[in-house]
Amino acid sequence: MVAASSVEIRKVNKHFGTFHALKDIDLTIPPGKVTCLIGPSGSGKSTLLRCINFLEQYDSGEIRIDGTMIGYDAPGRKMPGRKLREMRRSIGMVFQQFNLWPHMTARENVAEGLMRVRGMSRSEASQRAAEALTKVGLADRMANHPSRLSGGQQQRVAIARAIAMEPRLMLFDEPTSALDPELVGEVLNVMKTLASEGMTMVVVTHEMGFAAHVADQVVFMEKGELVGVDSPDRILHHPQDARIQSFLRTYHERNSF
Amino acid sequence: MDWSILQQYGPGLLSGFGNTILCWFLGTIFSMALGLVIALVQRYGSRWVGRIIQVYIEIIRGTPFLVQLFVLYYGGPLVGLRLDALPAGLLGLTIYGSPYFAEIFRSGFRAVSVGQIEAARAIGMSEPSIVRRILLPLGLVSSLPALVNFSIILTKETVILSIITVPELMYQVQRMSTETFRYLEANLVLALFFWALVETISNVGRWLEARVTKHLIERT
Amino acid sequence: MFSISVFLESFGPLFWAARYTLLISVLGIGLGLVIGTLVCAARLSPYAWLRRSAMLWVSFLRGVPLLVQLLVFYYTLPVIGLDVPAMVAAVVTVGICASAYISEIWRGAIAALPRGQAEAAIAIGMTPRDIWTRVILPQAFNLSLPALINELILLVKASSLVSVVGILEITRASQAQAATTFRPLEVYIAAACIYLAINLCLAVLGRYLEHRTAI
Repeated sequence: MVAASSVEIRKVNKHFGTFHALKDIDLTIPPGKVTCLIGPSGSGKSTLLRCINFLEQYDSGEIRIDGTMIGYDAPGRKMPGRKLREMRRSIGMVFQQFNLWPHMTARENVAEGLMRVRGMSRSEASQRAAEALTKVGLADRMANHPSRLSGGQQQRVAIARAIAMEPRLMLFDEPTSALDPELVGEVLNVMKTLASEGMTMVVVTHEMGFAAHVADQVVFMEKGELVGVDSPDRILHHPQDARIQSFLRTYHERNSF
Repeated sequence: MDWSILQQYGPGLLSGFGNTILCWFLGTIFSMALGLVIALVQRYGSRWVGRIIQVYIEIIRGTPFLVQLFVLYYGGPLVGLRLDALPAGLLGLTIYGSPYFAEIFRSGFRAVSVGQIEAARAIGMSEPSIVRRILLPLGLVSSLPALVNFSIILTKETVILSIITVPELMYQVQRMSTETFRYLEANLVLALFFWALVETISNVGRWLEARVTKHLIERT
Repeated sequence: MFSISVFLESFGPLFWAARYTLLISVLGIGLGLVIGTLVCAARLSPYAWLRRSAMLWVSFLRGVPLLVQLLVFYYTLPVIGLDVPAMVAAVVTVGICASAYISEIWRGAIAALPRGQAEAAIAIGMTPRDIWTRVILPQAFNLSLPALINELILLVKASSLVSVVGILEITRASQAQAATTFRPLEVYIAAACIYLAINLCLAVLGRYLEHRTAI
């Protein structure tokens, strides 16, 4: 079992100019559980995810990780960069576009953070990188540059890069949306393994199957509002809210033929 | 062609050649370094500093190199800046080239995807680390063709230094041609020399580009 | 130290000389457009020898410093029996030099058009001539307008070099002025100001055209 964080989100608001992207979001993410954020595009689910590690700055409210507010020392007062980086060390993130560094091999991509952030020696970092890559099933691809890897392999390297830092919380921003359908499975499998080890995971996804089978709670968002938080079964199979029903209807129409 | 001319002017031409290469090399290095500093300050500095730098860039890019050299070399002494021709020429090249290099770096940095920077931030890398390990290597690679291109332009601009009496190749050739009255031949040879030099540099540039972008091109 | 009055007085004769700077630049780009279009056509032609000659032309003119080109032309013309005024030699040199860059601008703009457009035109049965005159060239011209303005700015600056063959444009005039007043700093800064003013105007024009054509 890995050490797992909890996240408390209280009355969080976010504006992009005049656009109100997040409206009074309240959400508790329990430790060691998988929370899936679903909803139509533009609903604010990715923005909310990015606020959790402060890549996106929220305007008001609080996001606390294991009780410590991220981004601000006090409401309206930004925390120093050093402290923010300290907090981010224990939050892993996986992006839709993988965002691997193309000038480094898979192994160097994973080792980079270990050396620069954790201050490990090159050999130690390299050793740890190899372990992380083995864990995601890429032991034989370590010397390849990202340009020589398939999308699914690149995303698994990205996951290895995040878990090598030994995070207590993992954020996934539509990790399979940029992948060809046949490559989705290998990434979801790695994520399932991670979930079974008791990692706290927050996943923005359009993969309803993953949400139904792996998530402990599902959060439905629309137009910057949090519409429903409940078990996968209650949200996905017995939705009460009309907005969730209509979203799922569209989803099923699109995904059946 | 009369070979005795070469014997007589050979040493002068050789030193001129040396100075041309020196001016091109140091001029490129210095102005590239200054350009890089400018680009980084523009990216990370305050808006106020950014504006001042923008004015500097507009002024240098809006005026001919020759006039800049005149201001520096002939106007400089009036404000206490007394330089010999060669150092004045090098300083002139540095100032003249810096805004162009800054623009090249700036767009190179812009070509680095936000996601790759965010990925580094998300694992807690510090900004200086991100600049050194992600932004610079990726930005430099994507600006390489433009960097080579502008260093070729600088090569050609070095001949203008002859007008403020920097003893580079052009200067030596003009001296030779006025003494021997072989204006056309001398200048033709000079033209061929620069043509060969520029073609060489651009071929080296292409080779370099192919090497460093090897891993950056997505396999299809 | 810096005398404002000397600075201001320099503008009179320099403004006069600015007409020649503008004349050389504008005629130069005009000539460059004509030759550059021909060179670009040659580079896209089906004949290999024509393409190779055009490539050689471009590579030579881009490889040789303008100042050297200027002197080569200046000294070549009398040899081949053409006794033309220095002004004509200057415009021709500047124009020929610009032709290399302009042909590349054209080529770049044509290459930037999506391939599908020509294919769509072929698919509805347009003739090659119509495809060029109705589909490709109008768009390429719009696309390359900002680059052409940029080329004009380069020519305004490059025209300072024709001062070495004795044409009384801004730079030559400022040299003369500096020699009579013994105040090179003020005079050359005044000259720089005039160049800057001309080029800023052109840059604004370029930006306007860029916005207008960005549909």
